[in-house]
Amino acid sequence: MKGHFAAFFEPSAVAVVGASATPGKPGHEVIRNIVANGYEGSLYLVNPKGGEILGIPVQPSIASLPPGIDLAVIILPAGDTPKALEECGKMGIRHAVLSAGGFAEVDEAGARVQQEIEKIVTKYCMRVLGPNTSGHTSTPHRFTSTFFPLGKIRRGKVSYIAQTGNFATHTMKHILTAEHFGVARVVGLGNKIDIDETDALQYLGEDPETHGIIMYLESIKRPRAFLKVARNVTRSKPVIALKSGSTEAGKHAAVAHTAAMAAEDRLVDGLFRQAGVVRIWEYSHLVSAGKALSMAPIPKGSRISFLAPSGAMLVSLADHCVRLGLQIPELDPKTVRRLQDISPPFIRMRNPVDIWAAASVKGVEFGYREGMEAVLGDPNVDAVVTILMLTEDTGIPSYDFLVDLARRYPGKPVLVSFSGDRRYNEECKAYLEPRGVATFPEIEQPFEALSILAKCRQFMSRAI
Amino acid sequence: MDLIKEALSRGRPALTEHESKQLLQAYGIPVNQEQVAMDAESAVSSAAGLGFPVVLKAAGTSLFHKTELEAVALNLRSEDAVRKEAERLLNIPGCECLLVEEMVPGSRELVCGLIRDVLFGPCVMFGLGGILTEILEDTVFRLAPLTVGAAIEMASEIRTRKILNSLRGESAVAMDALSRTLVALGEIGMQHPEVAEIDINPLKIRPDGNPVAVDALVVLKASS
Repeated sequence: MKGHFAAFFEPSAVAVVGASATPGKPGHEVIRNIVANGYEGSLYLVNPKGGEILGIPVQPSIASLPPGIDLAVIILPAGDTPKALEECGKMGIRHAVLSAGGFAEVDEAGARVQQEIEKIVTKYCMRVLGPNTSGHTSTPHRFTSTFFPLGKIRRGKVSYIAQTGNFATHTMKHILTAEHFGVARVVGLGNKIDIDETDALQYLGEDPETHGIIMYLESIKRPRAFLKVARNVTRSKPVIALKSGSTEAGKHAAVAHTAAMAAEDRLVDGLFRQAGVVRIWEYSHLVSAGKALSMAPIPKGSRISFLAPSGAMLVSLADHCVRLGLQIPELDPKTVRRLQDISPPFIRMRNPVDIWAAASVKGVEFGYREGMEAVLGDPNVDAVVTILMLTEDTGIPSYDFLVDLARRYPGKPVLVSFSGDRRYNEECKAYLEPRGVATFPEIEQPFEALSILAKCRQFMSRAI
Repeated sequence: MDLIKEALSRGRPALTEHESKQLLQAYGIPVNQEQVAMDAESAVSSAAGLGFPVVLKAAGTSLFHKTELEAVALNLRSEDAVRKEAERLLNIPGCECLLVEEMVPGSRELVCGLIRDVLFGPCVMFGLGGILTEILEDTVFRLAPLTVGAAIEMASEIRTRKILNSLRGESAVAMDALSRTLVALGEIGMQHPEVAEIDINPLKIRPDGNPVAVDALVVLKASS
């Protein structure tokens, strides 16, 4: 399988079948993406009209391609796809990305075309991604088959497997424009006639560029094989999954009560727990978990400390932590003394840390820096969240102390959220994130991300 | 298992409760004591042998959901009570014989079982049992086979997991015995493809914390 996947993620010669000279068309945008990412292998374009696109000569047919092509990206209407695939097969091309939609997901005619494709895949022993996939991405190899205009895709250490066209397109665009983290590999599964989540997970599990894996799934094609593969991968890498359709009432019609309870989602839930896959429930967590995995270490446990400039935040966030399964431990007496030293005596310092008085009396930077240093050094604390008070009235600190703290405590996640002036919230994010400190605009979000990371640790360190 | 082969050869869709419990017992799952009685008088002497109180059930190859058919008489404390209920049960359509069972004390009822999904294959279920099973739907699943560790982990995932702790003078549930039961269900699923489903509802918890199957249904796959 690894050999096959190398053709997808490290291809040395690629043909785009259905190349188009018209900007805005998928067959054009895919070429722009490949060029924008600096792909260094050979790129061939196929279109009966011939000519040139973006300065690259166009071959009139698949038959006129040179030998030795690893991967064909076929961007044609569904009805034209089988013929093109067959020709690729005859040319000895064994790997293809089938980007067109209009197959089994649409109607019966589409389902028939899909069956035709399955036969061709078997006949030529091919491996294919899709159909109905929005493509795949491999930043270490500077390659993408995505047809949605993305430009240069930022490199990172997290990989995604997505059974939705949205992820490799709009969500990726969001990550590229609103966030600062990047990706290693992205696999858009499409209709999964061949390569499925289990294959992709196995590859990413062994992929040295991938340090964490996040999945969006609508179905699991081979649950028992998935369990076997995921169980192994989750020992060494965090694996997080959003499986949609959890409220579907699809239950088994059966004689026994046990079967009536066996709605597919309960089986999925059991499967994930057995496999060590952390289940998430919100689409936006695909992004926030990706950011946390990219910038923070996996904490040793679920004991956290947090600093906030408001009693209301302290109390409501502490409640939130309990709901999320995070613990707020008592601090070491030495830590408490240190906190008390930086604060006016009328505030009783403990966990969570009320940093308002210290920050307003002794300066925002001093209060937060000393407070965070104290709890980061506490042996009872696995991770720290800080809700940074940013207003001109109270004084805008230099943000460097946060980068410095995160570097000096590399085993403990330091996550940041904000209170105060939006302008400085954004400025702070733009400063911190490229330097590897994750920030979150809403104050609940860092805790949600931490609870996901803590569950990853639980699964990674389990005995069996 | 001969029980399964024989039931299948007769075209029966399921094992009777008595057969089901024999299968479970062969895999080490604790079941309550019971005897088959063909008439009221032998039911009375079985009851005296087991010791009162007893449970009396109508049994037959077509009787699956006995509660709905009022085919179960609980907590019978005298020979007269057994005789009277035996005569009533023998008149229920489909009743072929009676089961005289030990009435298991204890206030906690759990549920466990096995399903066979087209894609997921044999899966073990565990949850809160008794009359609240369908209302709370507090159940969790695992793909068979299970390790003891996975079974213990699974049992502690139900929302009402506090029921496993000591409760009102009754001991905490014996997790080793409970996990062995779940592991055994998975084993049956792995070894017998002709078993389509198993239902143990309730799995009662004795006051000393030990689980015991007091009702069981093994559904078979019609051989094609």
